[in-house]
Amino acid sequence: MSSKIILSAPLVLWGLAAFAEGETPDASASETPATATASQDVDLAAAEQIFKKSCRACHGNKAQGAASYPKLSDKEPDYLAEKLERYRAGEKFGPNSILMIQNAKKLSDADIANLSVYIATAFD
Amino acid sequence: MFHSMHRSTLPVVASLLAGTAIMSSQAFAQSGMNTTSLQSEVVLDGLENPWDMAFLDDGTMLFTEKCKGLSVRMPDGSVNALYGVGETEGYADNGSDLFCEGQAGMMGVAFDPDFSNNRRIYVYSTSNMSDPHTNRLMRFTVNDDFTGVADRTDIVDDVPYKMAASNHPFGGPGAHNGGRVRFGPDGALWLTTGDTHNGEVPQSPTMMGSKVIRIDTDGNAHPDNSPPEGFDTRTYTYGHRNVQGIAFHPETGQAITAEHGPWHSDEITILQNGGNAGWDPRPNMAGREDCPDNYCGYSPNQEEGMNRYERAAYMPMTDFDTYPDAMPPIWNNNGWSQGTSSAAFLAGDAWGDWDGAMVVGIMGIGFGGTPIGQRIDVIQFNDDNTDVEDVTEMTLPMEPGRFRSVVMGPDGSLYTAIDEGTIYKLTPGS
Repeated sequence: MSSKIILSAPLVLWGLAAFAEGETPDASASETPATATASQDVDLAAAEQIFKKSCRACHGNKAQGAASYPKLSDKEPDYLAEKLERYRAGEKFGPNSILMIQNAKKLSDADIANLSVYIATAFD
Repeated sequence: MFHSMHRSTLPVVASLLAGTAIMSSQAFAQSGMNTTSLQSEVVLDGLENPWDMAFLDDGTMLFTEKCKGLSVRMPDGSVNALYGVGETEGYADNGSDLFCEGQAGMMGVAFDPDFSNNRRIYVYSTSNMSDPHTNRLMRFTVNDDFTGVADRTDIVDDVPYKMAASNHPFGGPGAHNGGRVRFGPDGALWLTTGDTHNGEVPQSPTMMGSKVIRIDTDGNAHPDNSPPEGFDTRTYTYGHRNVQGIAFHPETGQAITAEHGPWHSDEITILQNGGNAGWDPRPNMAGREDCPDNYCGYSPNQEEGMNRYERAAYMPMTDFDTYPDAMPPIWNNNGWSQGTSSAAFLAGDAWGDWDGAMVVGIMGIGFGGTPIGQRIDVIQFNDDNTDVEDVTEMTLPMEPGRFRSVVMGPDGSLYTAIDEGTIYKLTPGS
């Protein structure tokens, strides 16, 4: 069932981050793991596995958002990576921080890079 | 959903095209000759958090979307948007006081059993008409061609709403509203409510959260309700956490709830008139000390996963030590909480051995090592209809989702809404 597609993210993606919901990236955001690996292959199959296990039940099967959990599929990879990195660091922001911190704390830099691209591109 | 098994290195643009093609499959059937051989059909898609449905015999289906409003799908498949939440565009009329926030918004819906004569329907929604805001059960009449509603009367206007964020998981405003609206075989109107992350609400005799309410269609207490002395007489049962499922046993007529547990112990309970469900998340009692924002519902450890039985020992879903006469659950989901939301009874010969069994929709959760568990369970009762005899996970012919609502249709099919935006029809195979 799992996708075995492995894609290489073009560098141009990283120049298009929109930073939705009015949040302005701080200095550290420009050094997120996703950005750091921009020139590397992005393993979307690995990201899909994480998405199905840790993200889908709340955010929906297409990351379209569900119940009180926000839509992710319309976000840019940089936005998602920055949020995941902040949650991984234990920062609380938003009503579901406790859930996100627990899910993000086990992610590696590569996981965050992969997930960010996967979520932003797989469901368009 | 992802059927592609090829391996390649492609530009992202190509992945978008592939994704579109892969997503196009909507319905497919299983083979086999038993009651697990279901066919699924997408009834409506692209909805925004569909929450509940109600049917007439001809297939007319009311449905709610949490942040958008009330609509009706006619037997010919056309949809009329009837009553919008707030200023949502495209509806024949709007409730300017209605709003959505977090888990709150437009929720349960029901047709009056005498709809053919009185044209009445009932809808439960969050409203800012009062301050603090409340959840309200509204009564409307529907016009002859189902293009509009009128005569809004708020027959319940005082179900608590969580106004401010708190230091809890899912701690935003709007948590735990209950929300299911059903008519029982006794002709009474039933409404389920939630604890709003407020430790005082569940055992409160007067705050109408954490209750199963039984009333008439004007909002008056049912004369046979028998809560403890001093309780609001609309109370049928109290001490619940967040009841989103209620259904009535086809043989006994008893009201049975399906309830979402606190990171442990989802419960199914056969209600007893005046009974206490035993949820009491107050701090500084039952062996507990202070808890975040005076609500122990996720204690003793709300920051990370822990053994579910240790959680249950500290903050029981049904506290028999404090309330020895509490209503005993007949199912506790093997100690897990996975987002149990809704309940219905299957009806019709086509369901075979499952005819008369209860189905429970489970939304799934992904936290602290709990299996996600998105599914519909089939709950079969014993011969006396007093206990659960067997539980079978329904083999679904489509991807699982956040099963918010399960409702029997007049055609003998089971309809289910998932938060992701789809209403499916599940029909037994032949």
